[in-house]
Amino acid sequence: MFITKKHLSRRTLLRGLGASVSLPLLDAMIPAGVALAQTAAAAKPRLGFFYFPHGAVMEQWTPAATGRDFELNYINAALTPFKDQLTVLSNLGNKPGESRAVHALVPATWLSCVHPRETLEPYMAPTIDQIAAKHIGQDTPWPSLETATAQGQGTGSACERGYGCTYTGTLSFANSTTPLPVESNPRQLFLRLFGQGDSAAERRFLAEQTGSILDMINDEMSQLNRKLGPRDRNTLDDYLASVREIERRLQNNAQGDLANLTLPEVPGATSENFDEHLRLMFDLVLLAYQGNLTRVQSFMLAPEVSEMTYNHIGVPDAFHAISHHANDPAKKDRLAQIQKYHVEVFADFLAKMRAIPDGEGNMLENSMLLFGSNMSNSNAHNQFPLPTTILGRGAGKLRGGQHIDFGRRTPLANVHLTLLQRAGVPIEQLGDSTGAVTEI
Amino acid sequence: MTGSHRILARAALAVLATVGFAASSAAADAPAAAGPLALVEARCAACHNSTDWAGGVAFDTLSPDNLHGDVEVWEETVRKLRGRLMPPPGEPQPTQREIDSLVGWLETRLDAAAAAAPPDPGYVGLHRLNRNEYAREIRRILDLDVDVTTLLPRDVFSEGFDNQAATLRMSPSFLDQYITAARTVARQAIGRTDAKSSSHEYRAPSSLDQSKHVDGLPLGTRGGFWVDHHFPADGEYVFSIREFFAMGAGYVTKVDHAHTVILTIDGRRVFQQTYGGPDDLKAVDQRQAIAADEIQNRFNQIRVPVQAGVRRIGVSFIQRSFAQSDSQLQPIAMLPEMERVPRIPGFTVAGPFDVTGLGDTPSRRRIFSCQPASAAEEPACARRILADLAAAAFRRPVNEEDLAAPLSFYTRARETRDFEAGIEGGLTAILSSTRFLLRSAPALTGDEAQPLTDLELATRLGFFLWSTGPDQRLIELATAGRLQDERVLAGEVARMLADPRATALVDNFAFQWLNVARMGNFQVDPTLYPDFDHNLRAALREEIRLFLGDTLRADRSVLDLLRSDTTFLNERLAQHYRVRNVRGDQFRPVRLTDVNRHGLLGKGALLMATSYGNRTSPVLRGVWVMDTLFANPPYAPPPGVEQFPENEPGKSMGTVRERLESHRALKSCNFCHGVIDPLGFALENFDVTGAWRDRDLDANEPIDAHGRLSSGVEVTGPAELARAILARPDTFVQAFTEKLMTYALGRPLRAQDMPALRRIVREAAGQEYRLGSLVRGIVASDAFRKRQPPEEGEPDGTAHVAHAGAGR
Repeated sequence: MFITKKHLSRRTLLRGLGASVSLPLLDAMIPAGVALAQTAAAAKPRLGFFYFPHGAVMEQWTPAATGRDFELNYINAALTPFKDQLTVLSNLGNKPGESRAVHALVPATWLSCVHPRETLEPYMAPTIDQIAAKHIGQDTPWPSLETATAQGQGTGSACERGYGCTYTGTLSFANSTTPLPVESNPRQLFLRLFGQGDSAAERRFLAEQTGSILDMINDEMSQLNRKLGPRDRNTLDDYLASVREIERRLQNNAQGDLANLTLPEVPGATSENFDEHLRLMFDLVLLAYQGNLTRVQSFMLAPEVSEMTYNHIGVPDAFHAISHHANDPAKKDRLAQIQKYHVEVFADFLAKMRAIPDGEGNMLENSMLLFGSNMSNSNAHNQFPLPTTILGRGAGKLRGGQHIDFGRRTPLANVHLTLLQRAGVPIEQLGDSTGAVTEI
Repeated sequence: MTGSHRILARAALAVLATVGFAASSAAADAPAAAGPLALVEARCAACHNSTDWAGGVAFDTLSPDNLHGDVEVWEETVRKLRGRLMPPPGEPQPTQREIDSLVGWLETRLDAAAAAAPPDPGYVGLHRLNRNEYAREIRRILDLDVDVTTLLPRDVFSEGFDNQAATLRMSPSFLDQYITAARTVARQAIGRTDAKSSSHEYRAPSSLDQSKHVDGLPLGTRGGFWVDHHFPADGEYVFSIREFFAMGAGYVTKVDHAHTVILTIDGRRVFQQTYGGPDDLKAVDQRQAIAADEIQNRFNQIRVPVQAGVRRIGVSFIQRSFAQSDSQLQPIAMLPEMERVPRIPGFTVAGPFDVTGLGDTPSRRRIFSCQPASAAEEPACARRILADLAAAAFRRPVNEEDLAAPLSFYTRARETRDFEAGIEGGLTAILSSTRFLLRSAPALTGDEAQPLTDLELATRLGFFLWSTGPDQRLIELATAGRLQDERVLAGEVARMLADPRATALVDNFAFQWLNVARMGNFQVDPTLYPDFDHNLRAALREEIRLFLGDTLRADRSVLDLLRSDTTFLNERLAQHYRVRNVRGDQFRPVRLTDVNRHGLLGKGALLMATSYGNRTSPVLRGVWVMDTLFANPPYAPPPGVEQFPENEPGKSMGTVRERLESHRALKSCNFCHGVIDPLGFALENFDVTGAWRDRDLDANEPIDAHGRLSSGVEVTGPAELARAILARPDTFVQAFTEKLMTYALGRPLRAQDMPALRRIVREAAGQEYRLGSLVRGIVASDAFRKRQPPEEGEPDGTAHVAHAGAGR
């Protein structure tokens, strides 16, 4: 059985739930002729790509032991409750992410493993979240969601002349030339995901009102239809098809996964409290999975070259400034503290995920989440060895509970390739990959 | 041309021999019929014949006695000859006189045949408002400015314009967003006391030069930027000037001297705070990031009461005197944080908090023509309000049926909350209705062309000249059945052209015709053009806007577009153009002594719009001239052509011109590039940013701006190119009018429209080709005033082909 063009048009619609639609997103649509078995019928894991900037203090990140019997290191201590769900990967490198431009390139090259062309206009390759979205994201309202805690480009020095500014503000490229914008405003994200309206009652009222609008348009169109020529009937058909698609979506919202979801209150103005903002974004990421609104997400925990201070955990230094620690042990400790904090917030998110029943197990169990950075030692700006951990066992597709040390430098692309394959994406090669990792 | 058509044409083959096509060397003084067509036989039929079918055209299959029957082919012949695209460069060329004689002969006959035939105004079907028109309609109906770019998807361009009926289709995501937009607009227009707070982040363009005064901010300020923001209710709003100082690689910079930051709302200062100076410098020295946080906190959580409505928020610095030095030098930095003075990277607005009311906004004044004193008065008041709004939105008087949906939406929303919520519901229905979203919905029977109704004409006039629906006066005249009275109509056209709303002809028509938007679509290579910044880009765009406005709005000859010596400059742009004695940010008219800067060909915005970020492109510029100024675009290159060789690091590739020489080598390239490239070469003295240059710095060679146009005329430099174009003014004016008419009708012109087009141009010649004369000609045309009944047959909205032959 094959997915028809009709399917495409539905995807187009559902994309349109968002506040704005940019045409390049259409590239993320499923190619014609993909067998349905690969997309809808087979169980599809949830994928997530969680990025933190400025690498990690590796000696406080990497577990001392390898194999299945290991203790998590200082930074990752909060992940201990999820030890059976996680895979720590050591000795990974991302050669294509290397350049003198560093911060300007590392976010977007993390998931592409392709070195961008040195032009001001974006030119790279699609990132793995987008490759996955084409295959497993087509039957959810959004093939993928891209979120962050800060909008757009990083601060000035994250933009490097020669490469332009397009690789630093997002993790996701839909295709070679289309960086995807990120949403960092929790309120906007909420309205985009769950519809306009500040309360459940208002959302219900508005959904009902939308139904009435569609009825009204239907009436107007059928009056027109009697008087029009065939060429105009085409336009009319467009209208009526649009009406039907939106009706179907309204029904889905009223009766589908979303109906069973208890939504929190709509966020108001963006908080200046980073901790609050970060946790709120994680909550929305979780809700998007839970409501089956999307299966693929990328999320930047903090912007590249963030100069934010972390006073709330007792680190008064600016994040990027202290990341240039000059090997001063005291500074490295404070940097590790920031990194440990990011892991802790992530762990809270994992705990919530694990508490949600899903199929045979729980949502975490059935997911594949990549947690890491595309920099190793922030003082050296290098791309080896990269801090990389996989969470979740992808409904049995991943072993979990181990620390794999490749022993020698291995392309990060191999891990990406493996994740895609396990998620059911037919792919043999990616960036500088040399083959899938069977141990994972 | 359809297949069956071609077969019929072939059947007429025999006729040809009888009119002397065989004559091989036709002289200009040969018999009238045979003479001009003999040129076709001599110069065209060697390729365009029923054996070779070059370009799908075979002249030996056409009958010269029935030009009208093959109007697509003959009009295309005229177009190619007029543009000197055929015979292609490299082939033996007829003289200009021979071509003129043939073109004249063909046009006379085609025009006479069209005049004898029944009117054929063409058909424009369902016509949806585009995004731009939507925004203007909201302003007309509700007196509200909405940021339509965040509400609605971008429209597809066709024929270079975003208002072409056949491409303004509907899709689920469009409809979805139009419904959301209706709701958002209705809420913004009415406001809401229980509006939930939300936050908006605004960022300054990273290449905005903040070392000087920024136009739009109060005088006496330096740097910063401004935005027009919609405040949904009277109340408190919280501003934060974020990442206010740059910390390059973690170092707090630019705290050495004290700078005063001010926040203004509609030009009124509501907040002032110092940044930098000895105390801050000391604190930063001693405590680094902690001190930076403290400084930042002075600019966080600025609570300001603001009244509802759209207001201009400005954040900037107080300008210091020269003695205090705010660095009057050009910023030499390529990255913003390298500027010597602090800049405002962005700010957020959050709110409303502690809402006190909805205030007295223009849109509320427009909407609430009555206020019910009691619940009993509500239904009558609601009906009155919604009837007024619906009449404005539907661009005509409304009836009971039109009000049914708005009133039922009112009732339903009134039940859930209050009267104002009810009005919001009714307004949402009106703005979602196809009666608002479709600017025309033809309903015709019969098979003869019929005149538009008065109301349809009013709407068409409105969207043509103002990009909005008709105003009250037009609707009244139309309702009274007086608009088709030629004297009334002429008066209305004159009134509309004089109205400020006619700037839409500049901002929409002219900008799209010239493709000005492309200048904003690419990044200029900072290593090659280190002095290029946002301010210069903005100045270039403003210059072309003012220049076009000056020529078009003052009803001058459209030929002035190519020859006017007056332009509009501010200091930044004058420096760029090397014009002396222009000081300050304000634009003012300046007479240009440099003849190369006169007219459109000397305008930086257009030269930029036809370049790449790192090099000029004679091809882009040549194609632009052909398409825009001649309405004669070349065909797309055949598949498989090689890319332009790029510069390789450390290796000079020679001039762009040298690299394009390869076009000459291949005959198939030269057919088009022999026409295109010389036009572009003439403009090579202008660099990517439109600055004058005598040398190509990439190749370190002098610029060679010489070219031989396909007409054989030799030109060197922009001024000579402009002169060559002006030597045949009707070609340019016809191109301009063709674009204007395409825009006015919302459909591409067909071969059948060309006689009318030529007539408009001929009649305008006596009026020096003033814009008004061309507009009047278009408004008087059958194509504008009448409508063909819908065709039966294939329901295909894209059946139009702009130029006959283009599809083959």
